[in-house]
Amino acid sequence: MYSEQNVDIIPEKWYNIVPDLPEPLPPARDHDPENSSIDLLNRILPREVLRQEFTSSRFERIPDEVLEEYAQIGRPTPLIRARNLEKFLKFRGKIFLKYEGATVTGSHKINTALPQAYYAANEGLQEVVTETGAGQWGTATALAATLNGMKSTVFMVKVSYDQKPLRKKIMNLYGASVFPSPSTQTEYGRRTLQEDPEHPGTLGIAISEAVQYALDHDIRYLLGSVENCVITHQSVIGQEARKQLEIIGEKADTLIGCVGGGSNFSGFTFPFMDTDVEMIATAATEVPKFSHGKYAYDLIDTAGILPELKMFSLGADFVPKSIYAGGLRYHGAAPALSLLIKHGRIRTDEVDEAKSLEAFRIFSRTQGIVPAPESSHAIATAMEYCRKPENQGKTVVINVSGHGLLDLSFVRD
Amino acid sequence: MKLALYLTFPYPDRETFSTFFGEMIRMRFDYLELGIPTGTPYYDGPIIRRTHRKAMEGFSFSFLKEIVNVSRLAGKKNYALVYYNHFHSSTGKFLDDLKEAGIDGAIVPDLLTDYYDERRQLSEEMKKRDLSLIPFFTSSTPDSAIREMTLLTDSWIYHGLQPSTGIRVPVSIDLMVSRIRKLCNDREIIFGFGINSMEMVRELRAEGADGIAVGSSLVSYMDSNDRQGFRSEIEMLGDAVYD
Ligand SMILES: Cc1ncc(COP(=O)(O)O)c(C=O)c1O
Repeated sequence: MYSEQNVDIIPEKWYNIVPDLPEPLPPARDHDPENSSIDLLNRILPREVLRQEFTSSRFERIPDEVLEEYAQIGRPTPLIRARNLEKFLKFRGKIFLKYEGATVTGSHKINTALPQAYYAANEGLQEVVTETGAGQWGTATALAATLNGMKSTVFMVKVSYDQKPLRKKIMNLYGASVFPSPSTQTEYGRRTLQEDPEHPGTLGIAISEAVQYALDHDIRYLLGSVENCVITHQSVIGQEARKQLEIIGEKADTLIGCVGGGSNFSGFTFPFMDTDVEMIATAATEVPKFSHGKYAYDLIDTAGILPELKMFSLGADFVPKSIYAGGLRYHGAAPALSLLIKHGRIRTDEVDEAKSLEAFRIFSRTQGIVPAPESSHAIATAMEYCRKPENQGKTVVINVSGHGLLDLSFVRD
Repeated sequence: MKLALYLTFPYPDRETFSTFFGEMIRMRFDYLELGIPTGTPYYDGPIIRRTHRKAMEGFSFSFLKEIVNVSRLAGKKNYALVYYNHFHSSTGKFLDDLKEAGIDGAIVPDLLTDYYDERRQLSEEMKKRDLSLIPFFTSSTPDSAIREMTLLTDSWIYHGLQPSTGIRVPVSIDLMVSRIRKLCNDREIIFGFGINSMEMVRELRAEGADGIAVGSSLVSYMDSNDRQGFRSEIEMLGDAVYD
């Protein structure tokens, strides 16, 4: 709908919501009384990433090199009026899609992989490591690493590794070494396998392995979601969307997105926080962190190497069902997002796999975009929303966080 | 600039504490911050956390009163650093005890993060007893909370530079100081958490800090019973702060 050449739409700064929150963000806490896991971050994260994690600044200038890379991977992503879906739903209002699937790696994850890899390379690192659930984050890390002249290693949750062989191929194509997690590469992985050789893996375990691998090999770890600096980087989504709406003279009434760790949703919605727009965050029914989770301090990684965060969580050793939306299987949700949900500023919804699959089919047929299984959850929420009489006439924007072209094994023929 | 010195009270035991406090009190500094030991000092790093566990046994309000008395006679202002978690079930009694011990005010590091809805109530309770509530801010305190707490209080302000005491992650001191200065205008702002080099003190000074608070870096001298090292550390800090 808009020229992809219109690079002016890409913001020059990232937005950090922390100084604008309605109450103070509960800080990271050490887990082990004898040691400081916060101090340990010095050996895990690139320095600049760590600085941004604890910054008080509302805006962070995006380095020119990263802006250039954003343009190279397809930013700004398009804002598309979903007229066919409107017709299908007989919706008397407007539906727009912010389509993050249009980036070269197929999801929003590249928005933070690029700056993190850029900072790591700037600090002289030769290699980075991370985990991946669905494979989207691993793919983004692999590309960002190679674009910045570094090697990458990815620990992929075992169920996804088995379900999504094409993901491993594309990561390999971008030069990454990929291990199914739990793996024999780390002490924690070996211990987990000893207890249960058939363990399907979880994001919590894969994060633990990646972090331990970073410490063992003195390389740096890239953060895929949950942490504040990731959400700051993802603010390009919402800032672009806001500008794109402005250009066509539209104003959003409702923003809808899906939540795994909370990065695409927060990046999409936080730049609208000074407006009265309604916000709905969709999690998977199988990972009911908002309806059954507790808002309390909990571990980020199962091994407890990283600091604890206050968030909605099902517990770091929660093992979810093997749903296809691997990116939604994480046990917690970003602290700033959790705080705003608790505060009542953001509403939540939960969608199960069957309902998300129905949304996936309808959306593919009407709009032609094959959405990621994660994004399909947000689409399901939006479809239900647009069917309600009280929502007729509204302008709804859905963040379609990724495409599902590499996830098609989840559709039965 | 002003110098605030922090000791967990009474670490490691009454006798050793008295010895080092005796050294300290003869030196130049402005504010004495006494950490009231608690089982869950969440926002302290491992060094101070360890001192809390150890100091619990020797704590009493009568001993606190003794120490604060000496400190007052030496012309220092005396503040408790105490977690709300430690006294929110007995707020009135605890504040009475602090007042009775001669304390001027309290820094409550978990008030805004864990008990945000009780901030006005605590401020009232403290005002009633003529105790200053020292606002404690960090980089994650939102602007609105900083503005409100600044209006609610009239004392100096404590700003934590690091996510917890005694650690060093990269921070932009210049951005932090200029932000808090803009929000608090001409209120006195003391910076603490993770200050362990004269270079940092000089940078804070150059950016316009009104003072610094130091704690973790004193603990090792107490642990090795190095009175000479303890004195010269405080002297060096004084040189950087007062010249
Ligand atoms: C396409 C897609 N959407 C959403 C998510 C969920 O993560 P987050 O909530 O951090 O955006 C993922 C995570 O892997 C993903 O790949």
